[in-house]
Amino acid sequence: MFTAIGAGIAVLTGVGAGIGIGLATAKSVDAIARQPEAEGKISKALLLGSALAEATAIYGFVIALLIILLLK
Amino acid sequence: MSITDELVKNLLEELNCETAFTIPLFGGIEVSESVAVTWIIMAVMTIAAICLVRNLKVSNPGKKQLILETAIGGIYNFFEDTIGEHGKRYIPYMMTVLLYLGVANLIGLFGFKPPTKDLNVTVALALMSIVLIEYSGIHQRGLKGWIKNFAQPVAIIAPINVLELFIRPLSLCMRLFGNVLGGFVVMELIKLLVPVFVPIAFSCYFDIFDGLIQAYVFVFLTSLFIKEAID
Repeated sequence: MFTAIGAGIAVLTGVGAGIGIGLATAKSVDAIARQPEAEGKISKALLLGSALAEATAIYGFVIALLIILLLK
Repeated sequence: MSITDELVKNLLEELNCETAFTIPLFGGIEVSESVAVTWIIMAVMTIAAICLVRNLKVSNPGKKQLILETAIGGIYNFFEDTIGEHGKRYIPYMMTVLLYLGVANLIGLFGFKPPTKDLNVTVALALMSIVLIEYSGIHQRGLKGWIKNFAQPVAIIAPINVLELFIRPLSLCMRLFGNVLGGFVVMELIKLLVPVFVPIAFSCYFDIFDGLIQAYVFVFLTSLFIKEAID
């Protein structure tokens, strides 16, 4: 029971990644709309930033999985 | 409760790196499944490479050669842009890792267990990356310059720079492993809920798109770090 709650709390890290990726995407859409010729560079930076922001969510997921599998 | 128990059992089975077979040498060398699948990937890629580069011509190239040249040239130019002029010597390694990761993430479609779902594989890849990053720094700046570079731009952040030596490979391997495993777990959950039709659409995202993106991100980050180390 408590392990499940702990795993759920660990997965809450996904909130940060969601907000971060959302903000980054919004800004990049804005930037592409302003300067369509720079799309290549912008999407490259967006992909990199998204990957880095997503990492926190992945850490939360790995921790949650470890909690469920190891503390069971 | 029985469904979750079954799921946990399934997941545990998938998480364990099973021993595919044992080589009867030196008292038995255990070969885990990920290594066996990696050998299969190596064999397929070697055969593909041999088949693709046969009969290449300088003048009047065929269709196959043109496609090959465009693809390889495109990837090469992309890496050249990221890694810079001084890092050209590392591009072949990057392309090898990119091809391996791309095939490894997609091989789940053919019924094999993706090697990247094994934490040992991603740890090994991340260690190779960090060794290459630091080697490129030493090669470019010399040992003294490499050590001095830890105190850049201000001496006070040297501990953070040293810490980065460990954080970078950790985050590289955890990102790859977590993404592949996460996609797999979500796919299992979807298959448990709706066994027909719906998984196909999600499989396109989690198996194909996500796997390729992660392969790209891994080599992209490595080449960015190398560029940072040699600039």
